[in-house]
Amino acid sequence: MEDFEPNIIGFLCNWCSYAGADLAGTSRIQYSHNVKIIRVMCSGRVNPMFVINALQQGADGVLIGGCHPGDCHYQHGNYLARRRISVMKKLLEFMGINPERIKMTWVSAAEGRKFAEVVDEVTAEIRKLGPNTKIRRKNEW
Amino acid sequence: MVDQKMLVEVAKETLAREDVKYIIGYKKGSYGFQTSAAFAYTPKDVEEFIFTPLCNKNLAKYPLKEEKLPLKRGEEEDKRKIGLVVKGCDSRAIVQIIQENGMKREDVVLIGIPCPGVINQKEIEKRFPNQSEITDINEINDEYVFTVEGKEHKIPKQELLAEVCKTCEYPNPVLYDVMIGEEVEVNPKAEYEGIKDLEEAPLENRWEYWEEQFQRCIRCYACREACPLCYCSTCMADLLEPQWIRRSVNLSENTAWNIMRAFHLAGRCISCGACENACPMDIPLMELNKKLGKEVKEMFEYTPGLDIDAKPLLGSFNPDDPEEFIK
Amino acid sequence: MESLVISKENFPEIINTIIKSYRLFAPTEENGFSGFNIIKDYSEMDLSYLNSRMPPKAILFNQTETLFLMKPGAKGSIKPKEIRNEKTAIFAIRPCDAKGFRILDPVFLGNYVDPLYKANRDNSVLIGLSCNQPDSSCFCTSFGDSPASGKYVDILFTDIEEKYLVEVMTEKGKGFVNDFSRFFSPASPNQIEAKNAKEEEAIKLIKRNLKVEGIEEKMDKMFDHPIWEEYAKKCIGCGTCTYLCPTCHCFDMQDESTLDKGARVRTWDACMFPEYTMHASGHNPRPARMHRVRNRFYHKYSYYPKNSGVIACTGCGRCIRYCPVNIDIIELMNRVSEMEL
Ligand code: SF4
Ligand code: SF4
Ligand code: SF4
Ligand code: SF4
Ligand code: SF4
Repeated sequence: MEDFEPNIIGFLCNWCSYAGADLAGTSRIQYSHNVKIIRVMCSGRVNPMFVINALQQGADGVLIGGCHPGDCHYQHGNYLARRRISVMKKLLEFMGINPERIKMTWVSAAEGRKFAEVVDEVTAEIRKLGPNTKIRRKNEW
Repeated sequence: MVDQKMLVEVAKETLAREDVKYIIGYKKGSYGFQTSAAFAYTPKDVEEFIFTPLCNKNLAKYPLKEEKLPLKRGEEEDKRKIGLVVKGCDSRAIVQIIQENGMKREDVVLIGIPCPGVINQKEIEKRFPNQSEITDINEINDEYVFTVEGKEHKIPKQELLAEVCKTCEYPNPVLYDVMIGEEVEVNPKAEYEGIKDLEEAPLENRWEYWEEQFQRCIRCYACREACPLCYCSTCMADLLEPQWIRRSVNLSENTAWNIMRAFHLAGRCISCGACENACPMDIPLMELNKKLGKEVKEMFEYTPGLDIDAKPLLGSFNPDDPEEFIK
Repeated sequence: MESLVISKENFPEIINTIIKSYRLFAPTEENGFSGFNIIKDYSEMDLSYLNSRMPPKAILFNQTETLFLMKPGAKGSIKPKEIRNEKTAIFAIRPCDAKGFRILDPVFLGNYVDPLYKANRDNSVLIGLSCNQPDSSCFCTSFGDSPASGKYVDILFTDIEEKYLVEVMTEKGKGFVNDFSRFFSPASPNQIEAKNAKEEEAIKLIKRNLKVEGIEEKMDKMFDHPIWEEYAKKCIGCGTCTYLCPTCHCFDMQDESTLDKGARVRTWDACMFPEYTMHASGHNPRPARMHRVRNRFYHKYSYYPKNSGVIACTGCGRCIRYCPVNIDIIELMNRVSEMEL
């Protein structure tokens, strides 16, 4: 497992966590390259089916980043995301799909360092879980 | 037993109201242990109404299934109400739909039936596979009494009762205009006993279990069509742009579909069991629904289908919602 | 036609011998109901079933079938899917489900021959098993067929207590039986008589009847009759009746791809779904459920017999048994039959 490089899809909100990622970059902080970032306007935009679709299409893990509670650019998109993702995690857990493959974080635009740390941590955890095989598309016809 | 005479009478009175276009209730089925939805436009149609332990379909599906064809010039929309016979679970479905703005309270007139529980259709048909003659069932002293090929059968209620009824907390309609008879007693049972074993099984065993179930799914979407709360005008499963799930029938897509359906019913499912009853491949969908019902109750102290003024679970939040999982 | 018998002691052995040279589909019980699956040993088979939940149609007409493969880009290519020629035997298929293939044939082997279906059909031996115990909604007899009919199979087995009577119905069946001839011996007149008795008994157990006579002409005059709306009101459009029908054959075609490869895939579809007739423009020629419900009955009892000379319903009763809202084709068609116009 040690040399397995996980594929992680990161859905980051435009206003906080994406800006946080940007800051990590401009501050030249070194961190794992496993998270492929998709910018969304708000963590509340992340339809939990995005997560499922990512897992189907080959992701080993998914990271959702939003603003800290109270800081959402759209008032409460992150609160809604939190509810939805926590329910989805429960469902996956019951189905026997490891819910630890789905991660969520609050990162502000000023937290470049936190972003880098979260990514490192998430990558290490997913690496430990190994490749996701359960609902992955085979793409063989 | 529900007073059928009273049911017919009340239905007649309701139908006589000027603002009611028709009433949906139950009537005898075409064979065996079936019952059927009845659409009554005239007092004569109402005469056919019954309520027996075989009335196990959820009629709450129908008001939203009504198709409004384009109006011809000069034609006016018929805005009259639909009358509906509802058991406890059906009434909760209506409450939930109203809560979500799927319909308005004034769109329906509800004839409430305090429900003694209904029969598990699949179970009784399995036990008497050759019964083609239309069969009446009476509930007498906790037994179902009926005659098959000249022989009288008495079967303990618990053996034939639908799974969802065994743990039903709301057999009495939570919303109604008229109620037929007295409320029934509720004996609350451990609602989530049924999923305990699975919950406690190791992750890999759970997946093995569901893998086997989902492998069988033929993606007919009967579960969706039967569910009173799956009323989206275009289901995400049917969308092509974007295509959320492929049409191919295989484990990956079938699992994605079942995740989607179960998730969309989180905080909305009122445990009527219609989905599982409709599933031709006997996939235990209620286990998924129950699990989410339980989690939602524990995490957010939320029970769907009780209050038309409540906010939908996933469209609302509490700043103090659990968030241990967030980094 | 040749009549043979095989003793029940020899039965496991012949099945296990067939498995060595054939892909053998047979009914197995899983999750409380019966389905046709490839078996690897006699013991997996379960013949106590009345009929399988899904018809064996899916063996020859797969629910998901790849038609061709593609690669995008300047050096892109299109390659037809390789045809598998696998020797297949379907054992214990019921007469009604075997007739289902007779109804699929004009569709897939008619003016345009579907190579995938043809290969599956040509490579398969249909071995029937008479129903000694029909189900409550069986009505094959309404079409002049019988629960012990060998008309649509290559070989028909009938359980006559201590032995199986084996009737060889076609050349293909004959070839098959010859390959395993050591298991069979000629049937005595008594044994043939025993089968006939079983058949009669089974026919007596079928209590429901759909009056087919004159129905096609009747329907010609009933297109706008309110009865379709009456039934459509009850229908929830779930499609169970079509997916479980041994004669329904509608399909959809979709492209599936990743960045560097893809395929065109054919999947089952059904006229009970609104998307089925939806045009790309958004126009839908069958906008209401009434149109769709009507289509199902017209297709089976009017259009199809006009086009192919046979009613596209075999009487297996699945659509009746598994319809969640008790839409009953026998009840409806009999009302049509008896209607004064
Ligand atoms: S009804 Fe059953 S088989 Fe059909 S799509 Fe739903 S889960 Fe799958
Ligand atoms: S998901 Fe099933 S049990 Fe829940 S409301 Fe829908 S049909 Fe009823
Ligand atoms: S599965 Fe989801 S999108 Fe589809 S009808 Fe049900 S609630 Fe709507
Ligand atoms: S319809 Fe006839 S052939 Fe089909 S299972 Fe029933 S009895 Fe057998
Ligand atoms: S099975 Fe019944 S409800 Fe479902 S589409 Fe067919 S007729 Fe309609």
